[in-house]
Amino acid sequence: MLQPQSQLRQRFNILITLYPKRSFRVPVEAECISPDVFAEKPVKHIAMLQIWEGNRKRNLEDLFKIKHETKSSSEKSIIRICGDVSKVRKIGAKMSMGNIIVEGDAGMHLGEEMNGGGITVTGNADSWTGSMMKNGTIEVKGNAGDYIGASYRGSNQGMSGGKIIIHGNAGYEVGCFMRKGLIKVHGDIGLFAGIHMRNGTIFIQGNSGGRAGAQMINGKIVVCGYIPSILPTFTIDDIRPKVEVNGEKIEGPFYRFVGDLADGGDGKLFVSKTKNPHLSSYEQYL
Amino acid sequence: MTVITGVTCPVCGTFCDDIELVVKGNAIIDVRKACAMGAAKFLNYATHRNLKPLVRKNGELVKASIDEAVGKAAKILADATYPILYGWSNTSCEAIRVGLELAEEVGGVIDNTSTICHGPSILSVQDVGIASCTLGQLRHRADLVFYWASNPWDSHPRHIERYTMFSEGRFQKSAWRGYLSRLRAVLSRKRLLRAANLLLRRDVLAAPEIERHLPYSMFQKKRKMVVVDVRKTRTAEAADYFLQVEPNKDYELLQAFRMLVRDEELDVDEVAGIPVEVLEEVADIMVGCELGIFFFGLGLTMSEGKLRNVDAALNLTRDLNQRTKFLIMPMRGHFNVTGADVVFTWQTGYPYAVDFSRGYPRYNPGETSVIDLLHRDEADASLIVASDPVAHFPRMAAQNLVKNPLIAIDPEVTPTTLMADVVFPSAFVGIEAEGTAYRMDHVPLPLKKIVEPPKTCLPDKEILQRILHKVRKLRRNET
Amino acid sequence: MDIAIKDGKIVEKVNVKKAEVIDASGMILMPGGVDIHCHIAGAEVNSGRLLRPEDHFKDVEVKTALTRSGVGYSIPSTFTTGYRYSRMGYTTVMNPSMPPLEARHTHEELDDTPMVDKATYPLLGDWWFVLEHLRDGLIQECAAHVAWMMSATKGYAIKIVNPGGLEAWGFGRNVENLDDPVPHFNITPREILRGLCKVNKLLNMPHTIHVHTNNLGRPGNYLTALETMKCVEDLAEEGRPAIHITHCQFCAFKGSDWRSMSSGAEEIAKYVNHHDHVTLDMGQVIFTDTTTMTADGPFQYGLYNLTGNKWVNHDVETETSSGIVPFRYKRKSAVHATQWSIGLELALLIKDPWKIYMTTDHPNGGPFTAYPKIIAWLISRVARKKTMNKISKRARQKSLLPSIDRELSFYEIAIVTRAGQAKALNLAQKGHLGIGADADVAVYNVNPEQVDPSKKYKTVRKAFKRAAYTIKGGEIVVKDGQIVKPVFGKTFWVNVKTLLPMEVNEDLRLKFREYWTVEYENYPIPDSFLHAPAPIPVKAEV
Repeated sequence: MLQPQSQLRQRFNILITLYPKRSFRVPVEAECISPDVFAEKPVKHIAMLQIWEGNRKRNLEDLFKIKHETKSSSEKSIIRICGDVSKVRKIGAKMSMGNIIVEGDAGMHLGEEMNGGGITVTGNADSWTGSMMKNGTIEVKGNAGDYIGASYRGSNQGMSGGKIIIHGNAGYEVGCFMRKGLIKVHGDIGLFAGIHMRNGTIFIQGNSGGRAGAQMINGKIVVCGYIPSILPTFTIDDIRPKVEVNGEKIEGPFYRFVGDLADGGDGKLFVSKTKNPHLSSYEQYL
Repeated sequence: MTVITGVTCPVCGTFCDDIELVVKGNAIIDVRKACAMGAAKFLNYATHRNLKPLVRKNGELVKASIDEAVGKAAKILADATYPILYGWSNTSCEAIRVGLELAEEVGGVIDNTSTICHGPSILSVQDVGIASCTLGQLRHRADLVFYWASNPWDSHPRHIERYTMFSEGRFQKSAWRGYLSRLRAVLSRKRLLRAANLLLRRDVLAAPEIERHLPYSMFQKKRKMVVVDVRKTRTAEAADYFLQVEPNKDYELLQAFRMLVRDEELDVDEVAGIPVEVLEEVADIMVGCELGIFFFGLGLTMSEGKLRNVDAALNLTRDLNQRTKFLIMPMRGHFNVTGADVVFTWQTGYPYAVDFSRGYPRYNPGETSVIDLLHRDEADASLIVASDPVAHFPRMAAQNLVKNPLIAIDPEVTPTTLMADVVFPSAFVGIEAEGTAYRMDHVPLPLKKIVEPPKTCLPDKEILQRILHKVRKLRRNET
Repeated sequence: MDIAIKDGKIVEKVNVKKAEVIDASGMILMPGGVDIHCHIAGAEVNSGRLLRPEDHFKDVEVKTALTRSGVGYSIPSTFTTGYRYSRMGYTTVMNPSMPPLEARHTHEELDDTPMVDKATYPLLGDWWFVLEHLRDGLIQECAAHVAWMMSATKGYAIKIVNPGGLEAWGFGRNVENLDDPVPHFNITPREILRGLCKVNKLLNMPHTIHVHTNNLGRPGNYLTALETMKCVEDLAEEGRPAIHITHCQFCAFKGSDWRSMSSGAEEIAKYVNHHDHVTLDMGQVIFTDTTTMTADGPFQYGLYNLTGNKWVNHDVETETSSGIVPFRYKRKSAVHATQWSIGLELALLIKDPWKIYMTTDHPNGGPFTAYPKIIAWLISRVARKKTMNKISKRARQKSLLPSIDRELSFYEIAIVTRAGQAKALNLAQKGHLGIGADADVAVYNVNPEQVDPSKKYKTVRKAFKRAAYTIKGGEIVVKDGQIVKPVFGKTFWVNVKTLLPMEVNEDLRLKFREYWTVEYENYPIPDSFLHAPAPIPVKAEV
């Protein structure tokens, strides 16, 4: 499937670095910042790509300083963004190849509907990161907002593949209507992790704000930290010594709950036994 | 002196249309059939009003001509990179249509008060759907009425007498007799308590009412009202049964009910502070009724869980339809917030938080809703119509709102008009200007013009049309 | 031949030197399209729009200097609806379902739908006044009340949906067949249909009763459709239609369950071919993700149970109900593919094109923007075969289409997409290009003398998708599929003049507060409410 031109590009690594020229106040919509869009374009065309700042149409070069480097490497094309782009939305939207590295904070809708390639953020990411994602990897070193890997309003088509890794904390309704794929949060997570989940895996190393797995139909949620309570529509199934997440074995022991029974669901919620002594009353049902 | 009948009341979502006004000359001197809020509006509306257009010069608001005000407002909006147009719930649909055209022309974000009220309900409807009806269906048929996280006694005073417990329907009778006997019991209990306090000169607290079993009246074949709330409100006192839910636990309670109405058992002994045996009895009542209705208010949309509380309530209603007929309706606050949603939706496809900045409507509450937008300090100008956000918004949002150029269209002097850069005095819709508005159940009704407004106070629709016209002129001159 | 237009009408001739000339040589000229049944405005349509933001965000219309912005796909916003119809050469559309209590809403939305003339039908089949009067045999009183309602709601025709079923749905029930009595009202659907058919005649309404049958969407319901058509046979006047069965595909199912479901189109076509009192429209299904919305509350609840999709229900006091459920028609589903086949079978087996019209019951079967696709299937056996090869094997084996050779000619297409519909609606100035007709003209860039529609159906489809010219009221509004002049059309409504208006008002006024939760004086829509009303005066015999 690789065409001669891309093979050529593989030998000469296309590396574009974008430096925001100033701080942004009104939202900037930058779905043009994507390896798919930059592919096979000379820099002067990339500079003229259309980008929105509020209700004004701008060119990419109006808002970003663009530096172009060609290095010999076996890596695919990379876009680097250096600076605070927390107001810049839709970076990497619909991308299917290549890499984006954000050295700073990234805005909403990062990697939305992504179909391949990878995005790395050294700072924080905002809400709707990886929403409706189909494939690829997003890694956020800092915190992330709400609705990670979620669907659009009214739709039940959330993330259907790929991986999202958040090293910091994540917000509310992470994995809403998720269908497949993996979300890993090393820090804490807000309420309603995995709400309306159809399938997939959410792994939380830290604490959960509560109501994890609400209205889930299937899938797996693992909470290694503290959770204040379990929803009354979940029932305790077993105590497991370990649980498997993406090929890795996580040490327990875990209470395994099944639910959400109100929705006829058969999802599995694993909750750390040692971090949640207040849940020991459930053991009487085993 | 004339009596005008069939007047629609421009205050709350109950939107009573049977008000009678006595008018002498150009003044309303008496109001009949309205509740305290409606009477207050009809009699006192002119007390704190603005009569002249104002423009801020050197930090002070000074009187200006309408043309000068229009010119300044149009320039503010045409220059803005991300303006917001907010309010809309207290004006007519005709004005809202112009507002949408203006928002599209200036490429801004237009939002109505749903964003601070039943926006979460709308978000959940978009995920689940909603089994609802017009209010007459309930007057005729409902024998089980739930007011969940809503206190109509205070917020929608005539709701119960017009549409539910005290109304007469084809298939259901009014339940006022039962209410009177209950009221007598409640009042005599209160009197005894007061007497005890006076005699003993210390505070004798009311015995906590732990009703472990439903009262007999709940099993009779008649209209019944159940109130679910975190504290015993006036509406709860009038109810056949009061279910006290632990604050922020409505989600758990609603989800639990979904299993109980399917005769499934729960693993736990209590949910939201209520023993499961009580919940099982309530579930039986729900399933055994002829037609039940959940009315719900901000207690669900604004407590922890927000839209997911409503999600669970909508799902519970849907599940109940397998066993009996059950419906649900949000208690909308302003008299035309439903109309604002309706007009936004037919023109743009989306009910609120509509972003026109890229030349076509986009919608994502949390991103395009004004509170969130203002918190992130993204707006750079605003037009406020028929609303008072400086008084009602969270402080951070209000602070970020007033630091930008602000245009206010309002009949009255409010904290928002006092902070504005351009102020347009407008006519009171439903009293001085006619139009159309939508009741909480989506029934459209006409707003009447009863008296003439002062000459300097134009209807909202006209003010907006002038601003739109001027904006287009400015744009044409630019290109 | 030349068509001359002056002052918005088609005339004998004009001064060629002073006139604007459009050279349509090598193209097809037709009257502007007329759509007899498409849900585009009102409470139920708008609830559908609100329900489905996910249907909108991928199909947007950007604002231009001439046009307003908007969204699609299956339930477009109002401006987009008008523009998209106009781009296909349509100039008149009929909104078929209006709950009378919320009539204001329907008209507000129609007023915001540009480019086309429009009208709407109030839902009267379950109105308490109708049920009570017909039960008591008071046809005259019923007719007087219906006449009042037509004026009050600015309606065009009597719409009946699942007669009796909607009142039963008030308590969560339904009616099973034409003789199943409505709970609490002691009247049967048959009596409602016959009664309103008589009322329609007494009022001299331009259109017949417009009926969505009982038992919609249930295997075996073709029998209900036949019974519905038969039950008013004796009431028909010589050669004139007495009933219009709408979206007939949905009530042409044979079989006893979904496994055995098959097409009843043959039986229905046979009946229609031998009887002149019936007109139908197709209700064609397209394989896509669309939204179902009808006034048939119980049917829509059934669809929710079938699919598990989100479900909106809205019962209207004293009058009617409605329901909305998103629905995806899948090629590989035997049932959906059979439905697709049924619509086309009906159109092809019914010999007289003046009896069956092309619709999708937008958006129930699919969005109206799919009309060119349906035209392709109607004119080309090859087009049908191509789609047939992709559908479920079981449906393909059961389908009658392989045995049908008929291909509609361009002339017949003109009938099923405009002339026939205008005639059924009795809109004398629409659907034809004779002298005196409204100057609503569509020009499509396909040469009937050079192009064989049977083989070059793709060319035809493309031509009908973007009209070369659309002329509305004598003005060029669309050129090459682009809006060049935004205009607003008129709203038709039937102004029935009864012999005794006052009595009806008194009776209604007294009962109003008992029946509705609004005041009598706030219910009727004043004449000034509509932006461009076009009342059609009609003298009733009552």
